[in-house]
Amino acid sequence: MKLTRRNLLKKSGQLAGALALSLKGFNFFDWSAEAQEAEIEKAPTLCNTCGTQCGAWAYVKNGRVWKVEGHEEDGRSQGKLCARSHGGLRWVYDSDRIKEPLKRVGEEEFEPISWDQALDEIAEKLQDILHEYGPRTVGFGHYPRSTGTFYGERFMHALGVSTVCTHNTSCNAARNAGFINSMGGVPDADLANSKYVLMIGRNHGGGIRTDQMKKVSKALAGDTKIVCVDPRQNDIAKLADEWLPIVPGTDLALVLAISNYIIEEGLYDEEFVEEHAIGFEDYADNISRISPDWAEQITDIPADKIKEIAEELGGNRPQAIVHPSWGGAFGAVYANSDETARAVSCLNALLGNINQEGGLIFHPTPELGELDSDKHPAPEVPDTRRADGVGVMGEFPLAGDHGLPHYLMEKAKEGTFKSMFIRHHNPVRNFPDYDHMAEGFKSLELSVVFEINMTETAILADYILPECSFMEREEMISAVGGPKASIGMRTEVIPKVYEETKSFDEIIVELAERLDIGEYFNFTLDDLNEALLEPYDISLEEFKEKGSMLVDLEPPIGETDLNTRSGDFEFYSEVYEHAGRSAVVGWQPPAVGMNIEEDEFRFITGKEGFHSHTATANIPSLAQITKDYDTNRLWINSSVAEEMGIEDGDKVKVESSLAAREVRVKVTERIHPGTVFMPSGYGNRTPYYEKSQEIDTLNPNDLVPYRTSNISGHAMRQEALVTLEKV
Amino acid sequence: MSEGKKNRRDFIKGSAAAGLTALISGTALSKSEVLAADGDNAKKALLMDNSLCIECQACRVACQNENEIDVEYSFIKFISNEVGEYPEVEYQLRRKSCMHCPDAPCIAACPVDALSEGKGQFTVIDAEECIVCGRCQEICPFEVPEMGEERMYKCDACQHLLAEDKEPACVNTCIAYALDFGDYEDMLEKGQERVDELKENHPEANLYTADYSEGEYGLLLILKTAPENLDLV
Repeated sequence: MKLTRRNLLKKSGQLAGALALSLKGFNFFDWSAEAQEAEIEKAPTLCNTCGTQCGAWAYVKNGRVWKVEGHEEDGRSQGKLCARSHGGLRWVYDSDRIKEPLKRVGEEEFEPISWDQALDEIAEKLQDILHEYGPRTVGFGHYPRSTGTFYGERFMHALGVSTVCTHNTSCNAARNAGFINSMGGVPDADLANSKYVLMIGRNHGGGIRTDQMKKVSKALAGDTKIVCVDPRQNDIAKLADEWLPIVPGTDLALVLAISNYIIEEGLYDEEFVEEHAIGFEDYADNISRISPDWAEQITDIPADKIKEIAEELGGNRPQAIVHPSWGGAFGAVYANSDETARAVSCLNALLGNINQEGGLIFHPTPELGELDSDKHPAPEVPDTRRADGVGVMGEFPLAGDHGLPHYLMEKAKEGTFKSMFIRHHNPVRNFPDYDHMAEGFKSLELSVVFEINMTETAILADYILPECSFMEREEMISAVGGPKASIGMRTEVIPKVYEETKSFDEIIVELAERLDIGEYFNFTLDDLNEALLEPYDISLEEFKEKGSMLVDLEPPIGETDLNTRSGDFEFYSEVYEHAGRSAVVGWQPPAVGMNIEEDEFRFITGKEGFHSHTATANIPSLAQITKDYDTNRLWINSSVAEEMGIEDGDKVKVESSLAAREVRVKVTERIHPGTVFMPSGYGNRTPYYEKSQEIDTLNPNDLVPYRTSNISGHAMRQEALVTLEKV
Repeated sequence: MSEGKKNRRDFIKGSAAAGLTALISGTALSKSEVLAADGDNAKKALLMDNSLCIECQACRVACQNENEIDVEYSFIKFISNEVGEYPEVEYQLRRKSCMHCPDAPCIAACPVDALSEGKGQFTVIDAEECIVCGRCQEICPFEVPEMGEERMYKCDACQHLLAEDKEPACVNTCIAYALDFGDYEDMLEKGQERVDELKENHPEANLYTADYSEGEYGLLLILKTAPENLDLV
């Protein structure tokens, strides 16, 4: 056999794998001391600790992944990686990993079974459900990235299943709906070249995307004025030119008041509005009574400050931006989030900043090739009505194909939805109202989870199929757009740590064969990647060595054609009108919190830069940060705390309409007095995450009830009021 | 003001003079100083712009991986402070890690010579030699050394990476672009330029320790606020 680098890695890795299996109390540091002198190899990958999937180099010593560094030729990382990425490689060696297929034999009780048994039983049960109830009762839920999307959708489509869901309704579905239905998509913010940026709720230092953080840093270090609106002084607000605390859920009032003032004062881009937009008059008319004085009463932001923001935005346009955000204040948080997003989009249109330097730019995404459809025919997209009401009149006609996992759980409880396949996604823990999600998931006749760890969703499944970790598997090439566009892929950095794990594509192909849809998978992952790489002058073999590659694409500066139905910016939406929603944006209150009692607080949440949802609390290096800086606490305003006799570090009972939990408090000047904030990364309910139990505390989803917006169908993660009581 | 802080101020003020005396009187130069004179071990520095730091802790975890230290220890820590009242509250922050003092007192204090001046003139610990006596911790004007069971923990500016002409792991990974690394004089100049910019909106902005001492410290901190607000003098 030819001795190649990969063979060498494979050999040494098998040895390390065997060691790890036999020694449960394996000590990384003892090992590393011995490994000090070992030869170091590096291989490219894409990080998997959050959705950004940064290009990275993994360094391997004695067959074990030792460290990661950012890949310079990846548009996301641009050579830099965050704490989660450095910590995330410990997932690979987590002793609690799922090592073989598991079948549920009791309440959260499992027995290991063979792959053949698992796949045979799953195929048979799925076949029965499809036969008896039809494909409308089956769904697939995942975190949508290249391999999962391609193999998962193809598999489901071949079975006639149309209900494919993502996490988006707990993330940014409202933001997407508002922008897509007015601007035709979500653009990139050219922060570094902008003169004035209003960031509403977006915390780039907590919800980190590495490439965006680079632009924020450039803007902070340069001449850009950054004004942050957030009930809490977040990780960027603390560095920015100004922090404007706002009453949670009232951002829409602020945005509409700024917009109306800009229109009244003639500060908007008349040429853009006349030439490239439709429905301006209706929009302007609908918000004409929304004044800064009125908004002051709602938002707690002074009318003069609102006018000042409007003047600075108008005065600096088109190098002025109201940031399109992400989760923040209008991703999936309040009943009015869909409309806040649409209002933000409209305000940017007033600034005429679309496809302008220092404004919002629709950067193209690099092209990828496709499989030859003659040799490898794809299944037709089924016309099955979706189980989650997406596109269905009377349900969620405007919701995107991101789907509604939380609504599906309602249908599961009713008994009209029967089976869910979940991959790299934890809806039971990461959607509001744990009991709603858990009960729904438990009601399914067949639930299958593809995972590497025992998540809250996995421990409720009928079958758990163990994937190998992101360091152990090759994946499909993916493309990312942006000011720096690139294509990238995961490679097999190390061989499997646990022999009885498989990659998602392998499992799907084996399952497809059992369901007589193998014809749609008559290609290898290499065949697929070769097809994807076809537009580029590089072989797959070379690309596997390279991992990521920048692709030079022209930014569409000056382009005015938008990806909307009309091709223009749509202040007026016929689509909304047709679906029985308001054609133009206007004021809508949040579901709760417009009138609160003396002893009530609005409850908000957000990410810390060193945790990804609840997925990383079990990673020792990241959990240690939480401990060292004592961050898993509920933020409360200093004066309010003093009035209530609460001191920093005290324990309080926090109670919503849904539940009561105990939590320690952080007393701070950095939060609006009528608001409490809880970081979102804690409160695991899986007994398998031993480390996370040391930093266990409440999870926001324990307190927030199940709700669904009637536009994007998002889950309103912050619609809850709470009371506090010192314990 | 605590005793520790007084000592630190005296130390910082005195350090330049001590260095000067050593040169003039022609006392024995250390091996690294000889190297420096030959241009083989040029003075390097880390430059930390605390006005850009989001405290994401990427540097900390990259450093732990790079140096293979247990996650309970960290070479890089942060000191922060809230000043003012809601909503006029300012958040202040600095990195707390080895300042890589000129004529580092910990080197002189170490009874087993586990500490020395290394590449780039950074203060380096030989963990194998360390007996965890705690003398370096007692004498350190910045309260940096952290005592473990078998060794003292502190930053050595990733000596093994410098040997390969690479930058330290924290600089390499900083997603806020708050860290820089290079020749001391270049970092000093960059730091001073940034401080001048910051002074427009933050009159107290300063470059620590360069603004307070002529001694050349291997870690330069760009601060928006007076050092005493961040437990420094």
